[in-house]
Amino acid sequence: MVPSACWNCVLRPRAAATRALLPPSSSAPRVASAPFHSSAAQYAQPAKKKANTQTMMKHRQSMSIRRKKKKPVDRVRPPPVGERKALKKRIVLSNPNALEIEGMADLSAETMSNPSLRGTIMGLPVDKLDQLRAVEAFKPKQSWSLFRRPSTVFRRSTYEMGRLIDQITGDVEGAQQGKVVKKIVTGPKGSGKTVHLLQAMTMAFIKKWVVITVPDARELVSGDTAYSPIEGTNPTQYVQPNATSTLLSRVVKANQDVLAGLRISQQHPALKGLKPGSTLADLAKLGLQDAAVAWPVFQALWTELNATKAAPGVKDEFQPRPPMLVTLDGLAHWMGESVYRAADYTTIHSHDLVFVNHFLSLLTQGQTLGNGGLVLYATSTSNSPSNYSLEVGLDQLAARQEGVKPSSPEYPQPESYSDADPRVMDLFQASMSKDGLLELQTLSGLTRDETRSYVTYFARSGLLREVVNDQLVGEKWSLSGGGVIGELEKVLRRPQLSRPQVATATA
Amino acid sequence: MVFILGVNFPERNLLKKSLENFFGIGNNTSSRLLARFHIHPTCRVSELANKQVLDLTAALSDMRIENDLRREVLNDIKRLKETGTYRGRRHALGLPVRGQRTRTQIKTPVKLNRMERKL
Repeated sequence: MVPSACWNCVLRPRAAATRALLPPSSSAPRVASAPFHSSAAQYAQPAKKKANTQTMMKHRQSMSIRRKKKKPVDRVRPPPVGERKALKKRIVLSNPNALEIEGMADLSAETMSNPSLRGTIMGLPVDKLDQLRAVEAFKPKQSWSLFRRPSTVFRRSTYEMGRLIDQITGDVEGAQQGKVVKKIVTGPKGSGKTVHLLQAMTMAFIKKWVVITVPDARELVSGDTAYSPIEGTNPTQYVQPNATSTLLSRVVKANQDVLAGLRISQQHPALKGLKPGSTLADLAKLGLQDAAVAWPVFQALWTELNATKAAPGVKDEFQPRPPMLVTLDGLAHWMGESVYRAADYTTIHSHDLVFVNHFLSLLTQGQTLGNGGLVLYATSTSNSPSNYSLEVGLDQLAARQEGVKPSSPEYPQPESYSDADPRVMDLFQASMSKDGLLELQTLSGLTRDETRSYVTYFARSGLLREVVNDQLVGEKWSLSGGGVIGELEKVLRRPQLSRPQVATATA
Repeated sequence: MVFILGVNFPERNLLKKSLENFFGIGNNTSSRLLARFHIHPTCRVSELANKQVLDLTAALSDMRIENDLRREVLNDIKRLKETGTYRGRRHALGLPVRGQRTRTQIKTPVKLNRMERKL
């Protein structure tokens, strides 16, 4: 074996030590300094191991490439429960940077059926905003946060609704007083269906109606809330206690003033905790404390609100009940099987959930609301399952409205082998009798005048820096597919390319 | 923390996923269990009522899961070995049992198929 230190170095250890400290000079070739010097081996790179894995491998070991495992990254603690959802559902109704609009009318008892204000922008009354928030009338994706205060276009359909609400209340002479009007609101995406409901709610609050809303139909059938069967029902019906409790809390929060002024007029033997002479607000609050009784409480509240006279045996004087507004957003979710499963693992049809069934039964014929009111159910296009049966049902409704008889061959029928849901078809059949006809209201684009005031509203709020003239209004109207208000809003809030002003171009 | 069949589950967890922690319960079985006791699919462990916990535990204790199921599987393999079948021999040799090729990709049988198999 060759010694690592040569004789020369051994004899002169101090010199060897200094040399070892020095880095090997790359410029001077090693051969020149010491051709047979074995210390060069010290400076050499360590020999690579032979990449002879084939022979090294054990019998039947895998030949796949071994990758290094990634080190687990330190995770940040997730935000507390409910915070992310709260952030997602946050609604901002005011933007202090936006300009305030002078002279904008508010929606009020006087203005809501004033034909001269048609096509203008009207602010929502500030004192009703809390109530509107309570019934979840505002949706997170609507751009209320662009403007100083929430306001809506007083469209033709809004004006008609205002007049209808006036008539049902009895403030205006008409045959509609105390009647129930049932409508399904449809229309293309962004045509303002949800805002139409919002306007209805605002008007109902102004008229001191009771407002009951289901802001998202999907929540009831998507399997996200507890359910339990009702004993002794055939076919089995299911109750959703937590969802009902939430509904009651919405009702109480939004209609506190009205409900606190009305006393119980019927017998409720099922509710033990209820004292005689308590108000409807107290009644509703029973369901908030205990979700298990939420459904009986809701039923009791419903009979109270629809009562037209006191039950025998109740001493208190009967106070007349106000009309009711019932709204629903996203009807298509309720027209098929739900995500819930029965005990034998078959899916539960949406109509077997008592909550859903109760609200759908309002569409059927007859005076479904004892003291009159408005039932407004809107379809949704942003969150909607495709539902053939509903499409056919709505087509039938439209045909009925145009005067096509069900016996005529032009009357739309589900295609053979299309697997249309018979329960949905029955529902539409039942709601299309002559008495208390269900109506279909289709919203479409704004008119030119409405578009002009909408564009002006953007300009006056400081969002649009252009001269509002016929050309601009026409351009925006066309770009938005004929004044579809959701599209119009997108077009208008888009960052504007700076156009050369006419004045500067000529100068 | 909620005890289901002697196992402690954090309250924030989904009940369906928690049930799937048991050996022998997968997606299908856990969904069916939930349906049987009318529990909605996105239920958290914290939302369970006491009665539901007892019901679930009772149902789970009737089922063949965890060690019972492991023992059953091992017994099945043992039976194959004892009767001297081809499948039993392959189990014992650490080779794939169901006719797969053995030239490559037999990591799993090498790992699992032993004389004294563990589950």
